[in-house]
Amino acid sequence: MAVVLLPSLLAREAGGEGRFETDAATVREALRGLPIRDLLFDERGTLRPLVNVYVDRTQIDDLGTPLEAETEVRLVAAVAGG
Amino acid sequence: MGVAVLVGTRKGLFVLTSDETRRDWKVEGPHLTGWEVFHATRDPRDRALHAATNNWVYGATAHRSSDEGQTWERAEGIGLPEESGLTWEKSWHVEPGHADEPETLWLGGTPAALFKSTDGGETWKPVQSVLEHPTREKWNPGAGGLCCHSIQIDPSDPQRIYIAISAAGGFRSEDGGESWTPINSGVAADFFPDDPFPEVGQCVHKLLLHPARPERLWQQNHCGVYRSDDRGESWERLEGNGLPSGFGFPIALDPADPDTAYVVPEEGAENRVTPDGRLGIYRTRDGGASWDLLQDGLPQQAWQSVMREGMSFDRLDPAGVYVGTQSGSVFASPDGGDSWVEAARYLPTILSVEAAEWQ
Repeated sequence: MAVVLLPSLLAREAGGEGRFETDAATVREALRGLPIRDLLFDERGTLRPLVNVYVDRTQIDDLGTPLEAETEVRLVAAVAGG
Repeated sequence: MGVAVLVGTRKGLFVLTSDETRRDWKVEGPHLTGWEVFHATRDPRDRALHAATNNWVYGATAHRSSDEGQTWERAEGIGLPEESGLTWEKSWHVEPGHADEPETLWLGGTPAALFKSTDGGETWKPVQSVLEHPTREKWNPGAGGLCCHSIQIDPSDPQRIYIAISAAGGFRSEDGGESWTPINSGVAADFFPDDPFPEVGQCVHKLLLHPARPERLWQQNHCGVYRSDDRGESWERLEGNGLPSGFGFPIALDPADPDTAYVVPEEGAENRVTPDGRLGIYRTRDGGASWDLLQDGLPQQAWQSVMREGMSFDRLDPAGVYVGTQSGSVFASPDGGDSWVEAARYLPTILSVEAAEWQ
């Protein structure tokens, strides 16, 4: 199973769970299966611009990236805000 | 009976509580850490808390709590329809519906959109009539975006609803939100020198209805303070009679006296700070014919700003009045503005205050 790791705010919104195992085929499918998907994607299905996605420690832009067993997907908020 | 002041800040929600003397205050929180709380309110019908919440990474949503803020649930997927070409940007104000419609709530925000919930805030549907309003192309955003920030329900008629949008103006619905009539006659838009009294485009900053005389509306506008006694059909401008400026953002009322209102003037649009080097709160008791400066307990040598949701009032007798500043202080008056105490200081930037009954 691949695993998706959430930052703390998203983990709180997911009921205190920051680690989700998934058998999704792609990063997009994995993210859309999360209970906080509305915080990651807008109503058009577009990934919010300040949400960065790392797969096995490499930042990706293509949400169609395939997932394999043991793949680690990490969501990181961009350095922004005040 | 106790009172709570729900204080929405850029860094979560704080709850200030006191007994009915409203002199000593306890600060609880923050709740909803990580969220900017543009507005929070307590639904008097079921005592649930509702918050209009935003995050610069994760977008705009709404949260609700049925246990006085100990746990929160997020609304499911608030969004605008694809055919609108718009996406939901900011949640500004959440308003409980009419007493006869116990599960109905309203949520306003950017870009000039209104949502209705009929399940206590669990899900929200966009109000198409606002998105498709025939005057919409004439609306323009103010500095805070094209935001629907005021929602008022007529307690005598659940079908009559008022909204205000910056900078589109005020609108009234007589059919529960199916259609909206502009109510801006006599309200100036001085920033349109070629047409200073248009049908729409006014920059209303806050609009309130008096709960005991619901045909009476008040508004603090970019261009003056106004009162209407005919459901917004006509407006009277109320400045030049004790107010140092007509510019400001919040307005508050006294639920027992339709002739009383409170404003916090700022020098003007070009210098948005309280004038004369003090936090000056002004009160009228004659429907806006004259205004008096309130200063007992309020700071001198102060240059402050209070946002459009930054003032509120409770329903005790005498009414309590509450003001939250951008610099993080909450001032509370237990006697209709005659005297004030600083209920909290050093909070994050305050975006909203709202009074509620509390145990």
